[in-house]
Amino acid sequence: MLALRGIEKAYPLAGGTLPVLKGIDLNIEQGEMVAIMGSSGSGKSTLLNVLGLLDGFDSGGYDLDGVDMSGLSEKQAARYRSLFLGFVFQSFNLISFKTAVENVALPLFYQKVPRRERQKRAMEMLGKMGMDDRADHLPSELSGGQKQRVAIARALITEPRVILADEPTGALDSSTSQDVVSVLREVNGSGITVIIVTHEADIAAKCDRTIRLHDGVIIEDGRSGDVVEPTANGAGSTD
Amino acid sequence: MFNRETWIEIAHTVTANPLRTALTGLSVGLGIFILVVMQGLGFGLQNGVEQDFADEAKNTIWVRTGTTTLAHRGRQPNRYIELRDEDEERVTEQVVETPAVSGRLSMWGSTVQYKNEQGNYPLMGVEPDFAELDLIPLEGGRWLHQDDVEKESKVCVIGENVINELFKQRSPIGEYIILRGITFRVVGHFAKNGRWGNSMVYIPMTTMQRLFQGNDAIGSMVLSTGDRDLEASTAMVDAIDGDLRLRHAVHPEDQRAVRVRDNQEEYAMFDRIFKGIRLFIWVIGGFTLLAGAIGVANIMAIVVKERTVEIGVRKALGATSGSILSLIVIEAVCLTLISGALGLIAGVATLNYAAPYAQHDYFTDPEVNLRVTVTALVVLVLAGALSGLVPALRAVRIRPIEALRYE
Ligand SMILES: Nc1ncnc2c1ncn2[C@@H]1O[C@H](COP(=O)(O)OP(=O)(O)OP(=O)(O)O)[C@@H](O)[C@H]1O
Ligand SMILES: [Mg+2]
Repeated sequence: MLALRGIEKAYPLAGGTLPVLKGIDLNIEQGEMVAIMGSSGSGKSTLLNVLGLLDGFDSGGYDLDGVDMSGLSEKQAARYRSLFLGFVFQSFNLISFKTAVENVALPLFYQKVPRRERQKRAMEMLGKMGMDDRADHLPSELSGGQKQRVAIARALITEPRVILADEPTGALDSSTSQDVVSVLREVNGSGITVIIVTHEADIAAKCDRTIRLHDGVIIEDGRSGDVVEPTANGAGSTD
Repeated sequence: MFNRETWIEIAHTVTANPLRTALTGLSVGLGIFILVVMQGLGFGLQNGVEQDFADEAKNTIWVRTGTTTLAHRGRQPNRYIELRDEDEERVTEQVVETPAVSGRLSMWGSTVQYKNEQGNYPLMGVEPDFAELDLIPLEGGRWLHQDDVEKESKVCVIGENVINELFKQRSPIGEYIILRGITFRVVGHFAKNGRWGNSMVYIPMTTMQRLFQGNDAIGSMVLSTGDRDLEASTAMVDAIDGDLRLRHAVHPEDQRAVRVRDNQEEYAMFDRIFKGIRLFIWVIGGFTLLAGAIGVANIMAIVVKERTVEIGVRKALGATSGSILSLIVIEAVCLTLISGALGLIAGVATLNYAAPYAQHDYFTDPEVNLRVTVTALVVLVLAGALSGLVPALRAVRIRPIEALRYE
């Protein structure tokens, strides 16, 4: 489903470049639930953004559903994003002046789905997230966990094949975090690939597979239970 | 494009920061307000002056005389120059060719009696051509004939005020009235604009000279320039002016003794002035609007900046560049259009409210004409679209990743 081959990416910096991804090889199959871990600055978000077609890469190859994604225009990237991908952000990124149901319906608006159907599908999706009683609340009237549920509903509304979540629980307390991960687990149960960037081992433990990044390279990739505790690694690096 | 979603978003932007919206709106509204009011005042001034001109035919030359102010050819100043029959004859037979001419000999405050009613009205001796030169709209009966002049008939044509005040609605035609003690028959009546026009009593020039003047003075003189263009009519003015100065020994620089005024030239002058005023008003209004549009552009730029993350999220959720572009542009157009419309309404209201208090001979009916209004609205929409376009293009260039990183 997702295949990265020797992906390299560097950010231009004053007086040179900062290499962030240094040859990433990664295969993720449809229906997997993957956690990406690693210390701060190791390149997790950058990797997720490349996977999510939000950012480009310098060299290497990326096949999404068997289609080569290198050298996409902004417009083409937008098309593939809306066709295949759904995003969940750490800071929820709900639109503040829209109600929960309006936020969930927004991606459908961009797919030119008629208003009534948008409304209906958004309500259904909120119902699946157990949020139908908060449909008319503004984001400011919701708790962090509730906001993230709305955001997940919004990511799911277009029926994506992959959900990409960058620290979806980073702003939540641990019990709410577990709650949100359970929701993502359920989502994964319906056959959708879920990729989560996280710092927390117990979040990663809920996934099938954990990938550990260090300084732009994958240093571990295996079944979640087998991966070593994060604190042991990453020491001594000066990034 | 124009669906519920779009309106909700616009409503949000507009209400998210009411003070900012109000101030931006104010600059646009004020621009349109100033434009509309100034245009209205300009038209009022123009209407006033045009109405003044409409009282007389445009293709006329008016010759007036007064006392000399400069010594010339051995004559002392303070000499009264009086136009007489011979001046009119000479000017029209030897100096210039004209299709119509008339003397204008008036006596202000003449007593007019009809039965038991009486009043004071200006009396004026004129020739038959005067009706076409001064554009006198006859309401009933007939105007003075050549025959009346030749026979020195005691007939008169009276204005509406005289009828209203002396005849009280009755038809005056064929009735006899007493002018300065002498009985005249009313043969016609007219209605004219202006303060004095309607109170006038016209009698044949010869009758006036014989009964009340005692000599052949003709007061002042009006001549038609026919279908001459401005250049030719100016030449006519120069010829008349030169002839009169020569005959009456008036210094060429003497402004008072001989005054020859060309309506056509004055009208052309006023026309130029008004064209200038209109242009000036548009320039001022244009700059005021421009300032408003820049204000809107500025606000939209701030809005775009504030909403960078939101725009990035929308793009990550599938928003196209077109949808982002139209959102910002429509917002800008709405902002300018609404505040512009308010300014327009305020301007029209001000003019309508102020108009009744501002009537003056040179200022009538300050109007907001449709063309100005429509032009202003079109300019507003364009200004709005343009002011939205620059920030919108910036919003379009935002890549979702940059927006999400934005802090
Ligand atoms: N736009 C950018 N320009 C320059 N350097 C960048 C940019 N974005 C990220 N970096 C750098 O790239 C490296 C990797 O960043 P990235 O955001 O992928 O880290 P991360 O693993 O997600 O870290 P964290 O856990 O703190 O979110 C960091 O050293 C960071 O400073
Ligand atoms: Mg990160």
